Amino acid sequence: MSAEEEENATELKIGDEFLKAKCLMNCEVALILEHKYEQLQQMSEDPLNQVSQVFEKSLQYVKRFSRYKNPDAVRQVREILSRYQLAEFELCVLGNLCPETVEEAIAMVPSIKTKGRAHDDEAIEKMLNDLSLIKKFE
Amino acid sequence: MFLKVQLPWNVIIPAENLDAKGLMLQRAIIIRLLGDFAARKATKDLGYYHAVTTLDSIGEGRVRQQTGDVIFPVVFSAITFKLHKGEISEGVVHKVLKHGVLLKCGPIENIFLAPRKMPGYCYEGGESPVFRDKLSKIEKDVVVRFIVIGTMWLEADREFQALVSLEGDYLGPIS
Repeated sequence: MSAEEEENATELKIGDEFLKAKCLMNCEVALILEHKYEQLQQMSEDPLNQVSQVFEKSLQYVKRFSRYKNPDAVRQVREILSRYQLAEFELCVLGNLCPETVEEAIAMVPSIKTKGRAHDDEAIEKMLNDLSLIKKFE
Repeated sequence: MFLKVQLPWNVIIPAENLDAKGLMLQRAIIIRLLGDFAARKATKDLGYYHAVTTLDSIGEGRVRQQTGDVIFPVVFSAITFKLHKGEISEGVVHKVLKHGVLLKCGPIENIFLAPRKMPGYCYEGGESPVFRDKLSKIEKDVVVRFIVIGTMWLEADREFQALVSLEGDYLGPIS
């Protein structure tokens, strides 16, 4: 997509490369970056010196903004959300923000309510319940 | 939003690093790729580069006539971060100024929230300045949920800037 004005995530209009790319939730990125960081720790005394600033800032960010810490829980979140015919982008916004009510979920991801998609309030409610269960048993 | 992208790149291996033993060559390609990747920081299309996750394929090398270096086409997967217009995300306040609030989110630190995009909030100066409404306040280190209304790529610094807003349901500071 070339014209920047056209981009609008609320209607799921994002660059083509992102509809193809796989989006990742903060908790998934935390697992990957922490693992990378541990690898570096084993190889050198001063791992902070080995990573870029971008890496360091994002590692801090995802540690703070991961709703799920346990690797099994992280896997389950993706598995559960994948059952609901969501776009990758929508799946990750929901996994990152963990809305508590149907109304909040629709406010965070307005595109799930657009015409022609099969998400009624009941289905969204069930999805949120499933997510909160993972959180409870983590 | 973090993304996992697959990228095709060319890796140049200097002639002196070429070795008859296959393993050493692969090692040289990986080291060179990681070095090139780390030096890249960010691109306009894919956002900030974080880490290479897998090296998916290494193609046939081509010799450069003049130098004897060999170019290998490789395909690898990596993690990047980019904010999109319309995306709702969360960030941390790192500066409160009279003319607005600066937030950071992931690797981006230039995320600006203007006073007219946070209706109801009033600036209160002093030693630790805040924006306050009836129920909540926005001050340093507070987490804020926002919607992205625009992003800009600065080619010279290889950085992104973003403008965000609190106009919308379920947006604002989170206690």
